[in-house]
Amino acid sequence: MELRHLVIFTLLCTSMCWHALAKTSADSSISAPHIQVSLVSEDSALVPGTTQLVGVRIEPDPHWHTYWQNPGDSGEAPKITWQQTDGMSFGEIQWPLPQAIRVAHLVNYGYADAHLLMVPVTVDKQIQPGGERTLTADLSYLVCKENCIPGWATLSLTLPVASDSAPSASAQLFTKAREALPAADTLPAAFEVTDSHIAVSVNGLSSEDWTLFPLRSDVASHSSNQQILYENGQLHALIQQSDYFTGAQDTLEFLISDGTQGYYLKARPAAPIDSVTGSETLGVSDLAIYAGMALLGGLILNIMPCVLPILSIKALSLQQHAKPGHHWAYLLGILVCFNAFTVTIISLQVSGQQLGWGFHLQSPLVIAALAFLFTFIGLSLLDVVAVGPGLSGMGQSLVSGNNHRSHFFTGVLAVIVASPCTAPFMAAALGVALVQPPVIALFIFNALAVGFALPMMLLFIFPSLRKKLPAPGPWMNVFKQALAFPMFATAAWLCWVYAGQAGTSAQFVLLCALLGFAFLLWLKATLPDKLTVTVLSVSGCLAIFSLITVLSLQPPTKVDKESASSTPYTAQTLASLRAKDQVVLVNMTADWCITCKVNEQVALSTRKVQDVLASDNIHYLVGDWTNKNDEIYTYLKQYERAGVPLYVVYGPDNFVKVLPQVLTPDIVVTAINQALQEQNHAS
Amino acid sequence: MHRKLLSGLAVAGILSTQAVAGSVNEPAPAFSLQNSYGETVSLSEFEGKHVILEWTNHECPYVKKHYGADNMQALQRTYTDEDVVWLTIISSAPGKQGHVSAQTANELTDSREAAPTHVLFDPDGDVGRMYKAKTTPHMYIVDPKGTLQYAGAIDSIKSANPADIPNAVNYVTSGMDALAAGSDPNPELTAPYGCSIKYKS
Repeated sequence: MELRHLVIFTLLCTSMCWHALAKTSADSSISAPHIQVSLVSEDSALVPGTTQLVGVRIEPDPHWHTYWQNPGDSGEAPKITWQQTDGMSFGEIQWPLPQAIRVAHLVNYGYADAHLLMVPVTVDKQIQPGGERTLTADLSYLVCKENCIPGWATLSLTLPVASDSAPSASAQLFTKAREALPAADTLPAAFEVTDSHIAVSVNGLSSEDWTLFPLRSDVASHSSNQQILYENGQLHALIQQSDYFTGAQDTLEFLISDGTQGYYLKARPAAPIDSVTGSETLGVSDLAIYAGMALLGGLILNIMPCVLPILSIKALSLQQHAKPGHHWAYLLGILVCFNAFTVTIISLQVSGQQLGWGFHLQSPLVIAALAFLFTFIGLSLLDVVAVGPGLSGMGQSLVSGNNHRSHFFTGVLAVIVASPCTAPFMAAALGVALVQPPVIALFIFNALAVGFALPMMLLFIFPSLRKKLPAPGPWMNVFKQALAFPMFATAAWLCWVYAGQAGTSAQFVLLCALLGFAFLLWLKATLPDKLTVTVLSVSGCLAIFSLITVLSLQPPTKVDKESASSTPYTAQTLASLRAKDQVVLVNMTADWCITCKVNEQVALSTRKVQDVLASDNIHYLVGDWTNKNDEIYTYLKQYERAGVPLYVVYGPDNFVKVLPQVLTPDIVVTAINQALQEQNHAS
Repeated sequence: MHRKLLSGLAVAGILSTQAVAGSVNEPAPAFSLQNSYGETVSLSEFEGKHVILEWTNHECPYVKKHYGADNMQALQRTYTDEDVVWLTIISSAPGKQGHVSAQTANELTDSREAAPTHVLFDPDGDVGRMYKAKTTPHMYIVDPKGTLQYAGAIDSIKSANPADIPNAVNYVTSGMDALAAGSDPNPELTAPYGCSIKYKS
């Protein structure tokens, strides 16, 4: 007991002495061994109702330094504690871009030159101009060369309170300090943790002289070199883990700087491995919210440019019938079509493919077909396509008729033409539905379908609403023709998408085909001899379509990233190669895997490795885990890995070598040579 | 067969280098160092007892914080009374801050009323580097089986101000309490804070 009292007494004494020492010197500027600190303001006065900048200027002696918010391997960031001042509230320190300072075998992050730690101060608007306020900061800092001296200072600055202010004598310091601040926007980034490294990937940065500064001291090994490289406009950084890194983080924050400019990064884990199966189920209230949102989304779909014309025609045609019947057929058409989509997607997902709403738009063939459909609808709205029996009458009669078949197909057609609009706008929301168990996904999709069907259903059910629609007249024809143009706009967009998928020359063929298609339709409506024209049109359409099909099936020319000698991984291929005592390098990779890309660039695609891989007796198997694949998952589990990258070299006589997750050309070549030696020995 | 043996050795080599690097939940790297009375002290002597390692440099402000407030000595007294072995290790190279003669070391122990089991000298820095000791202070706990159970800072507030000591969570105390209760220290690994160790360059 006695001892404890003594300890507490000593502590109290020490801390009191400390404060007593500090209190003696409440100036705006203080000189201490190896350092000068001062409190300055950008403005000459405090203006009520504004936020202005004050700052602590720190001037270490030459060769001495102070610290950034993460001091690195040792040291301590300066702390500013503001004493309470009536009507003033102080923000966080705006840290200038730090430098990496090497001290013996360690690396510190800090400042070896004079710098300004700016702090925003908000002046309460209730304060009356006139009089003055004293701002007081308790500053603690550490100034170091190799050895360090801690310091404490209480700095005060008295400023008048006035309704306006002028730049102070120190304003220049603030102008300079602003130039040394990181950008205000935080960039999103992705990270990934391997056994020894952290890989970080950021979009939209150019030049190669970036350094990453982690905001926490227990993330990266500060003294290790960072590997920075570029691929397709993405910056990838490979950083050695800190000895104190625990791995379990869902966000890592960094500052990335090239010495003159910088950005804060907020990095999230790159593509979670179990995004399809591992997500949590929604609660009932969440479910209600999502269903409500889906319903609203469905309502909004009605006014999408590709849907509105069809539904407008339908709505107007309803007026011509006093008693529209079979209205449930419309809802049924929409529900059937939506559910068919959903069931297809879910069953494909269950079989291991990652698909989203609008997956069919990934096929150039579907895009081309939709372009024809929209052109056709557009032309029929312009009355180019004669209304009548047969193919050309389809759009009109199916949509504007008054029987259950017509209503049903209006529903189906509406969903089909809506899909190019939904895919880009609603992908994210529908993504939520698709990672849920199938029953919930179906529920959400049906809420969307009901929302989509709702406006027309209301018109069907309530005649009074129908009466509110403008009376039929000649204007309807003009209106109908005007609606053709949103249709053509959608067709133009589809052609652009098609160009991205199949290339510009294929797009030209598609455009010519659409032109020919339009011409044939016009010909058919204009020429008297129906039979000849019908034969002509049908054969023409077939010819155009088969041409498109052939072109669409040819994938756009892609630069092959992997070496020519690589073979896709299958368990069977590997087993048969191993049975023949062959040397095999297995590379398990994914498009979203940052480390994999770094390794491909730094090691696998180098001349040295490519030369080795090119030889006939070495087999290079690449497993692509971009989409979930059970065969690859089984393989990863075999090596107790939850994800990619995984590199394994096999040789005769059960030679198996698992390579580290971060590769160099030498690691790969050495491992392959070891396997080859086994082979020579065996033979 | 011959090559199998060799590759087996290579694997063993990799394993042993991993064991040498001081990592929590791995065997604490073995060492022998001279104490301030000229005797050789080995970690292996203390098998069966808890061992606390403290890296120090008496001129470092962060060490001064904990010695000036009698915080470090109080821990030393508490645990040596409980038959725990406390080894204070100086890895400062000759000519650098914190390097002292054996005599000065003993004088410092007396004047500061410190109570380590031994003060050990590591002028080449080999033991410090093996344990990846970065700062003074930097604390480690080894359990009676020789497994490293805690590595890191002495407490939770990174500052040189002794007034922060009562508000901080002491990680040596929390680690020893957890081990006494039969559980693992939490945290078991923290980033240390303090002055850099003045290793031989």
